[in-house]
Amino acid sequence: MARQLKARSAGFAALILALALLGVAPAVLREYDTQILLRMLLALVLAESWNLLAGYGGLVSLGTSSAVGLGGYVLVGLLNHSILPLPVVILAAALSGAVLAALASPGLLRLRGLYFTVGTLALAEALRLVMINVNQFGGATGLFLNRDPPALGALVWIAVGLLLVTLLVMEFCAHSGVSLLLRAVRDDQDVAAQMGVRPFRVKLAAFAAASALMAAAGGLQALKLGAIEPYGMFGLRWSIDTLAMVVIGGLGTRAGPVIGVVLVMLSGELLADYPEAHLALTGLLMMLAMRFAPRGVAGLLAVLPARWRARTTGA
Amino acid sequence: MSIEAAASSLVVGVLLGGIFSLTALGLSLVLGVMRLVNLAHGEFLVLGAYAGYYLLTVTGIDPLLGLPLIAAAMGLVAAPLYRFLIQPLMGRGVEAPMMTMFGLSIVLQNLYTAAFSADTRSIETGYSALALNLGPVTVGLVYVMGFAISIGIVGLIHLLVSRTAFGRDLRASAQDAGAAAIVGVNVPRVQMLTFALGAACAGAGGTLSGLVNSFTPASGAAYLLNSFAVVVLGGLGSVLGTLLAGITVGILQSLGGVLFGDGYRDLVALLVFLAVLIVRPQGFMAGRG
Repeated sequence: MARQLKARSAGFAALILALALLGVAPAVLREYDTQILLRMLLALVLAESWNLLAGYGGLVSLGTSSAVGLGGYVLVGLLNHSILPLPVVILAAALSGAVLAALASPGLLRLRGLYFTVGTLALAEALRLVMINVNQFGGATGLFLNRDPPALGALVWIAVGLLLVTLLVMEFCAHSGVSLLLRAVRDDQDVAAQMGVRPFRVKLAAFAAASALMAAAGGLQALKLGAIEPYGMFGLRWSIDTLAMVVIGGLGTRAGPVIGVVLVMLSGELLADYPEAHLALTGLLMMLAMRFAPRGVAGLLAVLPARWRARTTGA
Repeated sequence: MSIEAAASSLVVGVLLGGIFSLTALGLSLVLGVMRLVNLAHGEFLVLGAYAGYYLLTVTGIDPLLGLPLIAAAMGLVAAPLYRFLIQPLMGRGVEAPMMTMFGLSIVLQNLYTAAFSADTRSIETGYSALALNLGPVTVGLVYVMGFAISIGIVGLIHLLVSRTAFGRDLRASAQDAGAAAIVGVNVPRVQMLTFALGAACAGAGGTLSGLVNSFTPASGAAYLLNSFAVVVLGGLGSVLGTLLAGITVGILQSLGGVLFGDGYRDLVALLVFLAVLIVRPQGFMAGRG
């Protein structure tokens, strides 16, 4: 137990150090690299939140784009039409994600996994079509931000802060009674209900928390762009990329999202001139992971050294 | 909009709905028999549309005459997909095969873009512009033909499921795969044939969709969601329920288009889907374990 605590505090120290380094990074990095850093931070927030839903809660969502898009639209709308300061607006964007999850929960959460996945996809596409067709939301051309956005470096700091919040939420969910509740509901909803767990509430809490974090990330994305339109903010790419990163990195593992974000973004940079090839490769890797490595690269890294040792000592 | 135009629009809705029932049938069969949400179903439909398009432009064969060919080819392609992608994952929960099919959908969509370009296409035959005048109502001939063919195929599948030995095995596997295996049903074989049958339906339905509407490599998501709306509305395991649900969704889409503008047509199917999930939260798989 003491050893575990020590390991955890060492992990925390390393985490704080890493986040501090990320905070300094904008001062040293070139503009392009800082852009990539910001994209990675936002992708990591999305991947961690998605892993909370799917990896720990068994809720495979194809609706990342609905929270991302909503957060972006709420942020731009509030910045344009109110005098609220930026931190409050980002909080409001996060809140909108939680509200969306709560409103959608009667339709999406009472059913078993199958319908949740397609339901989240339907919700995301429905929101996109609403934004395209309703002129008050800017229609197909979208909205422009009226206020001056923060500098790129400041955006990175905000993103680092959001990532820290995300990691704290994950830490809380992975190492407390919450993780037991989530896994109980994921593994057998009926038995969990028999034991006095309320599956609907547990799922709703995870869904709302993940959606809030995703919406905040969407808000930061909108802040970075300065102009948003429905095809991009509500694009399926958010949902596809997030899912692929976690599945390739390691579904339900703590290290999975980081590994997945780095791998997928790295291959994206290498294949920057061939976006179709990059996406096809991503899909292929997902299928391979499902078949041969259900816990992704993180799972392989945890298992392979032991196997290798067993083979060398056995021979 | 005049009364005549509105009436024509509604008739077109019914006719499109018939095609929807065919495009949704494959999804419904696969979901019912193997509890698999085939997230690549939309891409199967898009492949059917491209098959019809290239059959016509390259060989000159009429896509309606080539329909059996397209369906057979899709079935033949789908059988090994089941064998190598899905069967190894059976028994590992519903998520693993579903996400595998999602990976396949991403691969296929990007292969289409690379191979066929991202251009919007539609299948233009010699009779594509012909219209039928039935009293005050005017509808395109392709809608009527697509409807008739779809109804015919759906009817045949209904007979296959309800009257044949294969259909009996299929229904047994859908109800309880374990019990079916005990009484001697070769469940993996039934599942493979069902998957192939679903893909064949998607091939034919995709070609018909390509005849009546334009499509792109990215049309799969809209096709999938439209089909899924029909499936949840019609209920699983009922071929005739799928037919009625398809026509209902077609009518509602046309109503949405007439009342709010064409931009809302796709939104209607999504709202139907979400509404059914809220109104019937127990789902249509309740009571089936």
